[in-house]
Amino acid sequence: MQDRENEEAFRREALRCLDGLYGFALALARDRSTAEDLVQETFLRALSARRRASTGENIRGWLFTILHNVWRNEVRRRRPQAHEDANELGDNLATPDAGPEEALERNERNGRLGEAIESLPRPFREVVVLRWLEEFSYRDIAEILGCPAGTVMSRLARARAILRRRLAPSSETGER
Amino acid sequence: MSGDAFRGLIPAYLDGELTGEELSAFEVHLRDCEDCRRILESERALMAAVGDALPRPSAPGALRERVEAILSPAPARRSRWPVALAASLGVALLFSWTWYARRPETRPSPVSPFAALAADTHLRYGRGQLPLEVASERPEDVALWFERRVPFHLALPQYPVGPGEVKAYRLEGGRLVAFRDDYAAFVAYRMGEQPISLLVTSATTVVPEGGTIVPWGALVFHVEPVAGLNVITWSDKGLTYALAFDVAVEGSRSCLVCHGSAEERRRLERFPGRPGI
Repeated sequence: MQDRENEEAFRREALRCLDGLYGFALALARDRSTAEDLVQETFLRALSARRRASTGENIRGWLFTILHNVWRNEVRRRRPQAHEDANELGDNLATPDAGPEEALERNERNGRLGEAIESLPRPFREVVVLRWLEEFSYRDIAEILGCPAGTVMSRLARARAILRRRLAPSSETGER
Repeated sequence: MSGDAFRGLIPAYLDGELTGEELSAFEVHLRDCEDCRRILESERALMAAVGDALPRPSAPGALRERVEAILSPAPARRSRWPVALAASLGVALLFSWTWYARRPETRPSPVSPFAALAADTHLRYGRGQLPLEVASERPEDVALWFERRVPFHLALPQYPVGPGEVKAYRLEGGRLVAFRDDYAAFVAYRMGEQPISLLVTSATTVVPEGGTIVPWGALVFHVEPVAGLNVITWSDKGLTYALAFDVAVEGSRSCLVCHGSAEERRRLERFPGRPGI
């Protein structure tokens, strides 16, 4: 009985995370079909892992961690053309060597903050989504991405710097 | 702590990451430092603008259905039917037409996850959202590409074309599609302008279920309408197949995807349910 209630609670909590996981997957892959594959794979692995071991209370953070691991370990390895897919969808920061400064130069020409966020280099975009959309703590983000909390903070700071520069002209004219 | 150090804490303060003495010290400093208050407001405005601009996509309905199916308690498995040895892929499509033409009643039941994935893959491929990972009209090329990527052996049938004959369909290629703990093989065909999708996994991964059960010879077909498509699932020789195609496709013609030999085509022509006969 207890097991059944736990399973139902897990199912409810996992489903509540679906939209957020899909948004994070899109931020990583920038390709809807790859994002859907990532999310589906995440739930398959989560279910499999849950049968083997207790997952603790932070189901949400755990699911995001699985999704990021799937992306990092499998999809990029098995489907390197995911980057090409992103190019086809208009990714204007597709070259792996492009740094934040180049991203900024392009963003300034684009003219919209949403586009600037979309074109952030992936390491910056993922922390922006996890912090400002999903509202994870620095510590949670560090666990999800498998990096030190200091790295999370520095990436957020760099993302802010890029976006602030993107906003600068409109700020000077009194727009937010 | 210096003024620069306090300024460096502004983002962490706005993100709710400061606690205890660090938070108290920062708030005391903030009361006395006009520069920090100005920077803080600027940062707050930036974060609000970013929050407004961030897209908040909803998971597509088909994905939600698949995830719900994954998370649902596993249904009790039906007893396994005898594994057919002699039948092959295209037989399924014979039933697609006859069943849809003659079905005495609809029997609503939840769509099986594998059939749902086949339909979703078919639709996404048709919309150009699923690029092929191997593109070839040669079955041996496509089968070879899958060889090291899926945990089963997939052999794709050849379509023998006689002198002066025009091939009724063409193989376009394939790709991997995530399913359960591994990947299923998606094989794309096209007949005229109509795509026909074949999804394959091992019979140990998926046991066909759901839909209307149509036994025929040694095979058992599960026929279900999914998202406006016809989807047929069945197991044969250790593999489970799902064939998805638009209702506009004449079912028995689609049998040629695998029933391409002259003898098999004659057999199809004799089939009583074939449209136009």
